[in-house]
Amino acid sequence: MEIWRANLREQKVTREPVPQAWMRLGGRGLSGRILLDEVPPTCDPLGPLNKLVFAPGLLVGHMLSSCDRISVGAKSPMTRGIKEANAGGSTGLHMTNMGMKALILEGQAPAGDNRSGWWVLHLSLTGARFEPADDLAGLGVFEVAPRLLKRYGDKVALALIGQAGEMLYTAAGIQNLDKDREPTRIASRGGLGAVMGSKRLKAIVFDDAGGKKAPIANAEAFKLAQKKFTKNLMDHPQSAVYRDYSTAAMTLTCNSFGGLPTRNFSSGRFEGAETLSGEYMRETMLKRGGESEPAHACMAGCTIRCSNIYGGADGKALVSPLEYETIGLMGSNLGIADLDYVAKMNQIANDIGVDTIDVGAALGVAAEAGLMQFGDGERAVELMEEMRKGTPLGRILGQGVAVAGRVLGVTRIPAVKGQAMSAYEPRAIKGTGTTYATSPQGADHTAGNTVRAKVDHLDPSVQAATSRAAQINMAGYDTLGACIFSGFGFAVAPEVIPDLLNARYGWSVGGDILQVLGKETLQIEREFNRQAGFTAADDRLPEWMTLEPLPPHNSTYDVAAADLDGMFNW
Amino acid sequence: MTLYLHTTLQRQTADGTQRRLELTIPNASRVADLFRAADMPPVGDAVLLVVNGRTASADQRLSDGDEVHFIPALSGG
Repeated sequence: MEIWRANLREQKVTREPVPQAWMRLGGRGLSGRILLDEVPPTCDPLGPLNKLVFAPGLLVGHMLSSCDRISVGAKSPMTRGIKEANAGGSTGLHMTNMGMKALILEGQAPAGDNRSGWWVLHLSLTGARFEPADDLAGLGVFEVAPRLLKRYGDKVALALIGQAGEMLYTAAGIQNLDKDREPTRIASRGGLGAVMGSKRLKAIVFDDAGGKKAPIANAEAFKLAQKKFTKNLMDHPQSAVYRDYSTAAMTLTCNSFGGLPTRNFSSGRFEGAETLSGEYMRETMLKRGGESEPAHACMAGCTIRCSNIYGGADGKALVSPLEYETIGLMGSNLGIADLDYVAKMNQIANDIGVDTIDVGAALGVAAEAGLMQFGDGERAVELMEEMRKGTPLGRILGQGVAVAGRVLGVTRIPAVKGQAMSAYEPRAIKGTGTTYATSPQGADHTAGNTVRAKVDHLDPSVQAATSRAAQINMAGYDTLGACIFSGFGFAVAPEVIPDLLNARYGWSVGGDILQVLGKETLQIEREFNRQAGFTAADDRLPEWMTLEPLPPHNSTYDVAAADLDGMFNW
Repeated sequence: MTLYLHTTLQRQTADGTQRRLELTIPNASRVADLFRAADMPPVGDAVLLVVNGRTASADQRLSDGDEVHFIPALSGG
């Protein structure tokens, strides 16, 4: 494996041996390590000193079910701290086929006149080249991806930005192709699309022609562990829930707990939750037929198949995937009970390349400011179109909830470290709220969701421990390149994790390797943020959530400050 | 009291998918007694038991008018 380094200013790509300190990391941990080693934590996130890192996880490369994820990292223009966003799709696998331990993009190409000066970086084993891409500027990913596949062949992987990244929207993400070549697997949180845009890079083409699967030290042992893991995954009842209901199964779960964000986080129960539910979505898709697919894999070989293709009444696909977080932030959070509107908004978000969570939350504060009525799906779609066009209002909303709320004079802003909360009300699911407050990533449920834990979600005294355990495990999975949904498969026989790593790399790691990796990753991130100027004051939920009781339980967020400050003491 | 069945616990009946059951059970019954009342096998650890919006144990006593949810556990995305 090698480190590929692309200098955007010199337009040069070099391939280097992997430094010793980076060898035993992958994914989120490796990205963090590279950023801490090479990026001044006080730099301007959209300036020339920030670097954009792509790093496949440690287990990526052999189509191990649900374990081929790609981590993308940089200093975040949204949180102004360290950021990692990961995605499924095909980028991770292509990188390992090409022997890429990580890709580091540094420097910036100069902007041309009239916002010209865009580039595509084509990477292959026979060389790398920068190609002018002004003909692709201003286009959405659904237009750009097919053109790139035509130009470079349809066996390549792509990472690309839409108009949002070009316009440096803070909510901009980076799209990757799914296994069917749709550019819909987005590394969405924290503005990495804006970082890519600041480097004038429209797309990266990963051409693995001539490449081969990453080497395995002990093939027999790997195969044994892989078989055990795959069986555990497929046999587990949770697989069936994901396969049949997608992540949308979470709608009525959160609603039952009184934790479904409703009308800009003003209630935890939505009267329209039924028609936003996974159960209703499944019935609708089966009734409509056509291009609707309740089960769909984003990565080749994934046996969970939690993704879906949501089609309209005419049988044509409206969006893929339609996920719970989008249903929460663009549905109940806007008082919208109609999945078709959520799907239309999602499709625009995918095309321009923005995070549906931050944009959904931004629309929520816009509604609170009177720019739309809660429940008005048509108006919500119009506002998405403004984002696409880059009107002044569109640009404000594209900056995400924290900036939009400030500009629009809204005080009830659901964000931590400048990043929007996702679809778990922190006053009802206090463990996830604790993760929102303390995670180095900002308000991020994937960093440590506690909704599934058998704890009283309203009891403040048990949340720190629950959040800590979840944060450590999630950081571990993100470093392995494992989808966090594979966690239930690993939990049945946790020894599979060291078995897979030891067989793949010839190491002798122990049974606690997931937590070891997770803690190391978190410590790297905490150190970066410390140097960037973060203090304990940044590890808090917004004050208004500690004061305003949330119906139906009328609870406030009341986990003790001492618990938050002690989160990373182990 | 009302029992809501989520996702894979729902039943397919001749009249369509059944998600909600109205059950009459003796006073001071426990959540675990609902399995028999609803004619279903006891749910394992992978199911969240929720009474009136709060996490509950199988041993928890129920009262008149309680709203119970059986939720196959999942993490969102």
